[in-house]
Amino acid sequence: MRNRAGLAAVLTAVFALAAPAGAQRAAPLPWQEDPFPSRYQTPPPDDMLLRGATILDGAGGRIDGGDVLIRGGKIAAVGKGLANPGVREVDAAGRWVTPGVIDVHSHDGTFVLPLTSIDREASDVSEVASPNSADTWIETAVNAQDMAFDRALSNGVTTIQILPGSTPIFAGHSVVVKPVRAPTVWGMKATGGVQGFKMACGENPKSWGADDDNEGPTSRQGVVTYMRQQFLNARRYKRAVEQARAGTGAMPPRDLKLEALAGILSGDIRVNVHCYRAGDIAAVLTIAREFGFRVGAIHHATEAYKIPGLLREAGTCAAVWADWWGFKLEAQDAVRAEAPLLERAGVCVMMHSDSPADGQRLNIAAAKAAAAGRRIGIDTPPETMIKWTTSNPAKLLGLDKRIGTIAPGYQADVVLWSGDPFSVYSRADLVLIDGAVAWDRARPPSRPVSDFELGRGGVEP
Amino acid sequence: MRMLASAIALAIAAPASAQSLAIVHAEAWTMEGDTPVHDATILVDGSRILSVKAGGEVPAGVRTIDAQGKPVTPGLVNGATQIGLVEISGSDDTVDTASRDERNAGDDVSRALNGNSTLVSLARADGITRALVYPSPSRHAPFSGEPAFARLRDGVDILDVANVGVYAVIGGGAWDRLGSRAVQWSALRHALEEARRGMDDGDAGRKGKKGHGDGPPGGGRHAGAELIRGVLAGEVPLAVQTHRESDIRQAVALAEDFGIRVIVVGGAQAWRAADALAKAKVAVVLDPLVNLPFNFDQLGARQDNAALLVKAGVRVAVGQAGGAIHANYNAGMGLREGAGIAVANGLPYIEALRAVTVNPLAIWGRGGGALTPGADADLVVWDGDPLEPSTNAVSVIVEGREASTRSRQDLLAERYRDAR
Repeated sequence: MRNRAGLAAVLTAVFALAAPAGAQRAAPLPWQEDPFPSRYQTPPPDDMLLRGATILDGAGGRIDGGDVLIRGGKIAAVGKGLANPGVREVDAAGRWVTPGVIDVHSHDGTFVLPLTSIDREASDVSEVASPNSADTWIETAVNAQDMAFDRALSNGVTTIQILPGSTPIFAGHSVVVKPVRAPTVWGMKATGGVQGFKMACGENPKSWGADDDNEGPTSRQGVVTYMRQQFLNARRYKRAVEQARAGTGAMPPRDLKLEALAGILSGDIRVNVHCYRAGDIAAVLTIAREFGFRVGAIHHATEAYKIPGLLREAGTCAAVWADWWGFKLEAQDAVRAEAPLLERAGVCVMMHSDSPADGQRLNIAAAKAAAAGRRIGIDTPPETMIKWTTSNPAKLLGLDKRIGTIAPGYQADVVLWSGDPFSVYSRADLVLIDGAVAWDRARPPSRPVSDFELGRGGVEP
Repeated sequence: MRMLASAIALAIAAPASAQSLAIVHAEAWTMEGDTPVHDATILVDGSRILSVKAGGEVPAGVRTIDAQGKPVTPGLVNGATQIGLVEISGSDDTVDTASRDERNAGDDVSRALNGNSTLVSLARADGITRALVYPSPSRHAPFSGEPAFARLRDGVDILDVANVGVYAVIGGGAWDRLGSRAVQWSALRHALEEARRGMDDGDAGRKGKKGHGDGPPGGGRHAGAELIRGVLAGEVPLAVQTHRESDIRQAVALAEDFGIRVIVVGGAQAWRAADALAKAKVAVVLDPLVNLPFNFDQLGARQDNAALLVKAGVRVAVGQAGGAIHANYNAGMGLREGAGIAVANGLPYIEALRAVTVNPLAIWGRGGGALTPGADADLVVWDGDPLEPSTNAVSVIVEGREASTRSRQDLLAERYRDAR
C-alpha cells in the first residue's frame, strides 16, 4: 500500500509538470473530465519471443509458423523467422497466438457471485431510483475482489467493459478494466479509450416502469419519447455551457445528468444501447440521427440480422451472443448465426457476454456462431472470427490503436493458446497484459487469487 | 386399399431386407469399448440397431447415409433439463416447471411435456435424442415432483418414460419453504420413514429390485407418496439437487441409512466428497461449465469436478439443473460444450461421451444408450467431434427415423440470409 501511495505521488508530480503544455489547449468541458482517474500501473515487462505459432492477428490476418516479439510492454515485431535479440524464447509450435479477448458487456464486480439476499434487495448492477441514471459511474460500485476477474483472465480475457444494467433508460457511465489484481477498480482501470455509456430500450425499462412503485415510462413508445425529451434538455444545456465558455452567456449550474447526455451529443461519450427487436434498434438509430450522434453499438441486438443496412449506414456495431435466445419475448427471434450474418452484410460485429460464465468463452461463442452460419451456407475463417472478440470490440472502446491487434507498436495484450482458440479443448497457456505475464498455466497460483476466496472452507482442496 | 397394398408389399419385402436404414463409413462410438469402430457400417432394423461392423455390407435397397468417416454416436442424453416444460422463461404463462398444489406433493411432469416447443427442436438439431426432464420445487419442500425421460422424436408426443424417480432440492436460501437445511433433511427422512412404515404394514409386496432397462423404472408406480415407496423398493432413484459438501455427505448418509439409490444433482462441491460418493455408489449429474458459485453453497465450483469424481469411481452424467437463465435454451449445445470443457479439464474423452449417453440413462434407471445390436436406434451423424461447439449434427435418428434437424433458428437465419 505504501508503495502504491508513493507511486501515486510520483504520477501526480508528472501530471503537474505536464500541465503547462496542456494549458495551451482549451480547458476540457465538464463531460470530458474523468472524476475517477485510473491508478493502473503498467507492470514490469516480461520480454519474450513466441516462436513458430499459428498467429491470428485480430485484424483479419493469419500467419502459420509465425513469431511475435514482445518488448517493453509492446509488440515489437510479427513475422516469420524473427531474430531473437536476447529475450526469453517460448516454443509455440502447434500453439496459437491471438490478441487478448475483449468483452464489451460485463457486469463483473457488480453482479458478484455468489449472490446473496442483499443483491436481491438492492443490486449494484444499476441505479434504479430514476429511469435517468446518466449521472452514475458504475466503477464506484465495482468490487475488485470479484473472482470473475480471475476466471476471465485465466481464459484469455485481457480487457473488460463493465456496463451498468439495462433497467434505467439512461443507465450511466461504463468503465473499462484489465482483469488484474488490485485493491480497487481504479488499479484495474484502462485508459486511452473513449468514455462509454449505457442506455436501454424495450422490455427491461418498460417493465420496471410498469411497476407501481417505480418511476418511468411503461411502454416502448414511452421509452423512446423519454429518450428524445432528455436529449432535447441536454442539447439546451450543452449550448448554454458552450456559450458560457465562449463568453456569451452565463454558465448554467452543473447538472451531472445533463452533462453526461451533453457528452453523448458532442461525441465525447460513446453510447452502448441494449436493444433486442429490429424496431427498437431502428428507433434508437433514428433518435441518434435526429440529435446528431453516433451510437457505438447495439448490445444483444437480437434482430440486427434483419436490418443490417441500418447499422452499417449508421456506423454502429452490434455486440451479440451466440446462444442466448428465447428467454423473454423480445428474444424470440434470436439466431445463433447472427454474427456470421452481420459479418457478411458488412456490419461491425462482436461477441459479448453479459455473464461472468460466458465471458470466459467468447471464442467458443464465436465458434458456435460460425458453425450455425455453416448450416446456412456461410463459411467464416478463423482469422475473421477472431475479429469478433478482439479488434472489433477494441474499435467500440476507442482502443483500436492500442489493443485488439497483434502488430508492431500495439500494447502486448496477447494470449498463447494450447491449440485452436475456437476449440473447446484449448486452454490459455500464457496471458500477457501490457507485455507482462498475467497468467501462466504452467505456474498456477497456489492459493485463490481473489481475497474473497482466500481461506474459505470448501474452496481449497 | 392403397394402404393395404403397401402393407402387403412391406410384409413381402421384410424377410429379404429387414434393415430400414444403414449408415456407412462411420467412426462409430458405440460406448462398448473405449475406442471407436472405424469405417463402420451401422444397420438399423426398424427402431433397433441390428449391427455395427467395420466395413460391413449393406443389403440392397436400404436407405444409406454416408458418414464420410465422421463420428457417429448414440443420440446424446441430457441428464437434467427442463425442455418441454418451458417456452419463454420470463413469461409465467408459458412455463410448466413447478407445482403450486398445496395438497399433493406429486408433480408428474410427463403430462406437461410439449414436443412442439422451439427448445425441443433446437436441442434435437444439436444432437439430443433423450432428456431427463425434472420439476422445480413444489410447495411440499423439499420435494419437487417426479422427473420423466423425454424422447425427442418429431411431433408433440415426446414422452419416453414417466415417473423415473423422485426429485428433491436441498440447500441454503429456502426460507420461503422450510428454512434451515436441517429441517429440509428431516422432512425428507420423515417422508421416507412414513413410506417405509406404510410398506411394513402390508404393502411391501414389490420389493424385488429391477435391473436396469427391464420394465418401467417406477415399477408402474405413480407420482407422489406412492413413488416414494418405489424409492424404498429400489425401483427408482431419489434425486437430491444440492451443492454443499455437508449436504452431499448427508445425501450419502441417506443412501446408506435407507439402502436406497440416491443421485446428487448439481453437486458443485461433490469433488470434495468423491470417495464417499464412490463408496456409496451415489451418482452425480453435474454441469462441468460451472466454475463460479451462484450462491454460497456452490463455493469451490470447479471445471475438473467431473474428472475428479470419475477418477474416484463415481458415475457422472452431464446436465444443467438450476443453471443460468438460458440453460434450458441450450440443452443440446450446452451439454456438448460442458462435456468438452470437462475433457479440457482432465476427464478422459470416452468418459465424457459416456456422461452424455449411457451414464444418464443408467443413473436414472432407464438403461440403454449404446450402439449395440438390439439397442434403441437413437444415433447422430456429426460433421466433426460432437463435443466441439463448432460441430454440427448432420443427421439425427430417433427410434430408427431421421428426425428434423431444422430449428426455427435455421429457418429465420435462412429467411434473412441475404438481407443487406
